[in-house]
Amino acid sequence: MPNLTINGIAVAVPDGTTILNAAKTIGVHVPHYCYHPRLSIAGNCRMCLVEVEKFPKLQTACSTVVTEGMIVRTDTEKVRKAVTGVLELILIHHPIDCPICDQAGECGLQNYYMTYGLHKSRYALEDKVHKKKVQDIGGQIVLDAERCILCSRCVRFLDEVTQTRELHIFSRGDHSEISVFPGRPLSNDYTGNLADICPVGALTSKDFRFKCRVWFLKGAESICTGCSNGCNVEAHFKGDILYRLKPRENEAVNRSWMCDFGRLEYKKANDARLLAPFVREGGAEKAVSWGALVPRVALELSRAAEAGPDAAAVIASPQLSNEELYLARRIATELLGTRNLAFTHRAPGDGFEDGFLIRADKNPNSRGARLLGIPDGAAFDALVERIAAGTVRALLVFGNVVGSFTEAETAALLSKVPFVAQVGTNDGPVSKVATAVMPSASFAERGGTFTSHAGRVQRFRAGFAPRGKARNTVDLLVELANRMGAGWTFAGEASVFHALSATEAPFAGMTYESVGSQGQECKP
Amino acid sequence: MSFEFSDAGRREFDRLLTRYPDRMAVVLPALHLAQRELGYVSDEAIVHIAERVGTSPAYVEGVATFYTMYNRKPVGKYHVQICRNISCSLLGAEHLIEHVSKKLGVAPGETTPDGKFTLSKVECLGSCGTAPVMMVNDDYHENLTAGSIDRILDGLK
Ligand code: SF4
Ligand code: SF4
Ligand code: FES
Ligand code: FES
Repeated sequence: MPNLTINGIAVAVPDGTTILNAAKTIGVHVPHYCYHPRLSIAGNCRMCLVEVEKFPKLQTACSTVVTEGMIVRTDTEKVRKAVTGVLELILIHHPIDCPICDQAGECGLQNYYMTYGLHKSRYALEDKVHKKKVQDIGGQIVLDAERCILCSRCVRFLDEVTQTRELHIFSRGDHSEISVFPGRPLSNDYTGNLADICPVGALTSKDFRFKCRVWFLKGAESICTGCSNGCNVEAHFKGDILYRLKPRENEAVNRSWMCDFGRLEYKKANDARLLAPFVREGGAEKAVSWGALVPRVALELSRAAEAGPDAAAVIASPQLSNEELYLARRIATELLGTRNLAFTHRAPGDGFEDGFLIRADKNPNSRGARLLGIPDGAAFDALVERIAAGTVRALLVFGNVVGSFTEAETAALLSKVPFVAQVGTNDGPVSKVATAVMPSASFAERGGTFTSHAGRVQRFRAGFAPRGKARNTVDLLVELANRMGAGWTFAGEASVFHALSATEAPFAGMTYESVGSQGQECKP
Repeated sequence: MSFEFSDAGRREFDRLLTRYPDRMAVVLPALHLAQRELGYVSDEAIVHIAERVGTSPAYVEGVATFYTMYNRKPVGKYHVQICRNISCSLLGAEHLIEHVSKKLGVAPGETTPDGKFTLSKVECLGSCGTAPVMMVNDDYHENLTAGSIDRILDGLK
């Protein structure tokens, strides 16, 4: 543990720590572009220069390892002058695109200019080197070579993380330019991360470009619902529109990355939403109030339950949170007294996986469903058989699809049930035929926990209130159950999680606090 | 069109592959080899080298374009490369480049219509003690003046 002082503050850090990271531990920010905590050190941008006593020249803080007794200053006139000079050099060939650049608001150049720049340009405008703008280089990325400051983060990401090496720096000197080889666009499933790690607007997201200025966005800690890996993400929204997902750091799950498929999952919160409850009578949709609908669904389910032990059924979904699954199970077993309870994978269900982040199971909470005693597989097949045989009189189905059935197959199956009530977020084969449709909040509009394939229980938090007349599923289920005489007193997800962790062994002892922002392993 | 080395070239490449502890190190000599066979480094040659070394074409392109000694476009029969770096520049290289440019009727980077000469400006040729310097194909010419350049170029068939 070498001891050193930084700007007069004494600090001890583990062997091998760099000056930049040592400074961070005492809240001293050293400006940097090429340094990224998840990538190798390049030391090429020179933005992180600091003064070290006994060294004749300034040192790069990102690549200099601290030694015992080191005396570092980041706040001297000499440092300031050097950093201002570096920034001036970087800005010589940089376009003033800020008004239309999507990086504006989270741009390293803009941010440091306010602290280190403010210089008069010593360079004639006509001497500026122009490079190619708006190039589609594949994946989710657009390249503006002119904005690039050649920090090489993107090159190192493709070298070290995806190992696909599609981007490189071509030529040298002021002709240096980032590019792909002609005819060889980006081809990996993690291209979206390039827009995150590029410190300027050279690599921006095709999908997000020109949609919204980032300073209008608010963020909520969330979990990607695209597969069972449970990548930690930040959901960025404005009003009740979700604009993008960005990876949130979690060393144990996704480090700083997420896949391109997951990045597009946000669209589900915006598009094809079910926004108001309705019933289907004689084939026609009829709007109905929540106040009238919930008692009716409760009544139909209870009546079916009275008709025989297995005349009511519940099809759950691994898109539901642990809390919602727990309530759905209790409704099935305690209130309806039925064995007809199983969950169904969302189509395309099991698919591609790559040994990095992407998992074959494209659902965020299959593990949670199983741990909470809701079966899939053979149990789901058996339930489908009983429905097809016409023995089920009332069905509560969660989600927008049933298994991998086509729209026609779903319609044929559900036509065997006199009363089908759906709780779903998006329009789909089920909402097209259900008797009663109860729109539910998207993952950005509600909170709860998912259990990842690895058994990590992780929280996702609501960003904004449910859109339209959609409802929080937990609230909806509590009301439905109470209509059937449950007498539940749950108020919100946290209280359900509390009850769940008290009775369900895999979750024993957990609280929202202990799960925190980074998740917690459940008991095997 | 795909690129293949000649039989001798392939044998040389295989030998190069065994020469370095790190496969990536083969990229530089492989580019030289391709240039020797084609006169320049074609896109196809880059793809071929990348595949054989086990890296991406972008990586090889990055290496090939970093150095001025690799031609990414076909060059004339005589490749005239004049150093424009500090020592040469102090001794009038800029002026010599202009002279040759006028004489051949092409700008740096261009080839004469008859395909005989390509003129390039390059960074330090590593012969600063005898600046200004130019390289014509594999030969060095030192302590140049406009007159000596004329004699050299005029003597080329
Ligand atoms: S990267 Fe974009 S926002 Fe940043 S300085 Fe350049 S143009 Fe402006
Ligand atoms: S494109 Fe962005 S990440 Fe890549 S080198 Fe340029 S500035 Fe750095
Ligand atoms: S951050 Fe240190 S040189 Fe770039
Ligand atoms: S400067 Fe021309 S050879 Fe070195």
